Amino acid sequence: MPLKVLTVDDSKTIRMIVKKAFKPFDCLISEAENGVEGLAFAAKEKPDLIVLDITMPVMNGIEMLTKLKEDPVLKEVPVIMLTAESGKDNVLKIVKMGVNDYVVKPFKGEQLIERAKAIVSLEPKKEESRVNDSAKQYFPKDGDIQRLVIPGKADRPVIADIEGHLDPKIKEMADSGMQKFVLDLSQVGGINVSLVKLIITMKEKFQKQDIRMRIVAPSDVGKELKEFQETSEIAVDESIEQASQAF
Amino acid sequence: MSEIGTLDLKKLIGNAVDEVFETMLSMEVELLKGDFDISLNGDRIVGSVSFAGKVMGSIRIEVNTDFGRLITAGMLGMEPEEVEGTEEIYDVIGEMSNMIGGDLKSRLCDSGLPCELSIPSITSGKDFTIEAKDWVKHEKLGFRHQGHIGFLEVFMKRDV
Repeated sequence: MPLKVLTVDDSKTIRMIVKKAFKPFDCLISEAENGVEGLAFAAKEKPDLIVLDITMPVMNGIEMLTKLKEDPVLKEVPVIMLTAESGKDNVLKIVKMGVNDYVVKPFKGEQLIERAKAIVSLEPKKEESRVNDSAKQYFPKDGDIQRLVIPGKADRPVIADIEGHLDPKIKEMADSGMQKFVLDLSQVGGINVSLVKLIITMKEKFQKQDIRMRIVAPSDVGKELKEFQETSEIAVDESIEQASQAF
Repeated sequence: MSEIGTLDLKKLIGNAVDEVFETMLSMEVELLKGDFDISLNGDRIVGSVSFAGKVMGSIRIEVNTDFGRLITAGMLGMEPEEVEGTEEIYDVIGEMSNMIGGDLKSRLCDSGLPCELSIPSITSGKDFTIEAKDWVKHEKLGFRHQGHIGFLEVFMKRDV
């Protein structure tokens, strides 16, 4: 069973660094932007570890920690505090409040993992499950249609990750006789070079395997696709239902 | 209690800048010596945090957008061209302000000048100035990495 880790920080950057640090381990990482969101998540999911920032809007880390320690169910959840303040008064204050450990910013992911390992058991994630987890989030199936859902932030690392799953997925489709493919761009705000390159690669590979591809995208994204010669001929629908009927 | 006039602010913030760049970004920065009357031109981003208590003031970190992109890429472990939006850059510059401000706050508290830190704020654009009034101590530190220059300023108002 994966370890449930909750990172509570108003900075997306710090949440990303925490997620990256725990990525090699068998963990489910969840995020919250402030103490209110963090408490709500903790009450619902009861995480195994909370990595908690101090300075946050809405509800800061000290307040969230106080409420956690008052809650009979959540008071035993281990907490590692992230703080930009290494002054002795601040450190004494948070230690007295019952945190299991603290990490002073700036910090490296390795430092956080070292502290976490002293509190919870972190098992390395198996390579196979890492690949499968990553593939599952992009490639859901709808009956006889294989979908590829591009996340809202389709930057180069995300596209590279998807490209890594493409050949095994095409082979899987060929082996099971699936021929319908929907590239779902509903969450994408705009087209970028990496995404266009991915679409061209997919188009070429699908032609060889006789797989039919349609794209689901908002109208503005659809218009952008029509402006590229290589993607202009691919059918674009506004919903999965439309694409499904068009097949 | 320490008086703010006796604090070696330049050294304190210089150490903080060094540590943030080295630990979070794996980047070496060169701290620039001397006094600076120059400012950055073009699109620039200013991250600020304020502190208030026995001592009051603010910290500002100022970089142009290209340097901000480089810093963001370093912190997120990606290539600069992979940083697509300014929101990520603002978040990183805000977080840097928080780290440097937090470090200074800790030093001030340990010196008998307790204070509280605000959450970071970001100002960006081409043509703007930010003024701090009634300060009694001011330090401006320049730092350089791969030809990019940034500035860190601290303004302190007074002991209460």
